[in-house]
Amino acid sequence: MKLTHLSWTYMFIAHIKRDFLTNSRSLIDLISIIGFMLLIIILFPIGLGPDQEKMSIVSNAIIWIGLILAILPSLDKILQKDFENGWLDQIATTGIPLEIVLLSKGISYWLMVLIPLILSSPLFVILLSIELKYLPWLIVSMSIGGLAISLIGLIGSALILGAKRGNILLPILIIPLMIPILIFGVGINEAVKIGESPFGNLFLLIALALIYLIISPFISALLVRIAIGR
Amino acid sequence: MFDWLANPNRFKRITNKLEPFLIVISIILIASGLYFGLFDSPKDYQQGDAVRIMYVHVPSAWLASFLFLSLAVSCIFYLAWKHPFADIISNTIAPIGAVFSVLTLVTGSLWGKPMWGTWWVWDARLTSMLVLFFFYLGYIILSNAFERKIDGSKSASVLALIGLINLPIIKFSVDWWHTLHQPSSILKFDGPSIDEQMLLPLILMFFGFSIFSLYLIIVNVKTKLIQKKCEALILKSNLKEFL
Repeated sequence: MKLTHLSWTYMFIAHIKRDFLTNSRSLIDLISIIGFMLLIIILFPIGLGPDQEKMSIVSNAIIWIGLILAILPSLDKILQKDFENGWLDQIATTGIPLEIVLLSKGISYWLMVLIPLILSSPLFVILLSIELKYLPWLIVSMSIGGLAISLIGLIGSALILGAKRGNILLPILIIPLMIPILIFGVGINEAVKIGESPFGNLFLLIALALIYLIISPFISALLVRIAIGR
Repeated sequence: MFDWLANPNRFKRITNKLEPFLIVISIILIASGLYFGLFDSPKDYQQGDAVRIMYVHVPSAWLASFLFLSLAVSCIFYLAWKHPFADIISNTIAPIGAVFSVLTLVTGSLWGKPMWGTWWVWDARLTSMLVLFFFYLGYIILSNAFERKIDGSKSASVLALIGLINLPIIKFSVDWWHTLHQPSSILKFDGPSIDEQMLLPLILMFFGFSIFSLYLIIVNVKTKLIQKKCEALILKSNLKEFL
């Protein structure tokens, strides 16, 4: 059967559905990620002391850093399991473009881990004493940044396929790539806080997310083919 | 040209002759560069003698970026033509480049303490240089993270190509963000704006450093070739025993 573009979109949706099913069967993973982020957020006020003024200066940065740190331990799971049980090998031999499948992996990680984590941010906002009127901007900026973060995570997850102790070296490899997202993401929220227009930083963040949307499936497909070939 | 040199025996023959020249030339260049830089160049009217740190700082920064570019080029050679020699070369370039980027950061912060009053600022140039160091580190770690060394080479090569994004950021960071680090005064469209007496030791040091790192790369590649030969011999003798 010749694969058409129509069936590519079908494949894409089918893979997202599959990931949704596997994720919904193990909700405890998601809960532990949210709990981890909560603990990171709690550590900062304890370390800084109970001073509200001091907190309000760094609160936007803390919530972004918490987001990045909280998902690091789960990033290698994006592809690891499917690689170990041979599912990726199967996909590579079927003639479905690996790029489409990997894009669906990145998107589903964004939808099923990042978005729930971001939607639970009202809790973090209260803990960090950020005013609630900044919450919509925080959620918008973190959702867009989260897309870029999960696509970078896809590259990272593909980089360490088959490596020993891969989950330890994954942060070293991908945190440098996340620096621009952190800069522009915090920039949006800081601009909102001091009453300036956040759109400059917002457009740059959207541009970054779109660039990763284009390049990350190709890079990770290249890496997965390398991993399958060894 | 590349194929012609990539024969290990020919490489060894040529570099055996080349090696003493390289080390002598690099010592002469670095020594004269240090002499001109430390004794025979004017003080800066603002910075005084501290400007002389520049004669180590700037060449090592250039070399750190240049070595990353050559690392990426040799990674492209490895990914496209799967030549094992390219892999050996990129494996030797990475630690040398990492050392030069550390040297840049260390001399920069030694200079920053008296000049800016702080060891480190979160300036765009400094941060992107630090990121370059982390890319070197990531390359080295990833290429050693697999059971068999050869398994990591391709993934690490892809990482080096991703890290290539960082090079233009380093180059233009001083123009895009006006922060503490001074803008470029040598590689400009309207010619260098630096005094000739200061430019001379800078150029001497740069060529001295590059020829010295070429020497280091050649020595390391030769060592690795011998290592591979030894491993092959051991495998062969084990196989004989087994049979």
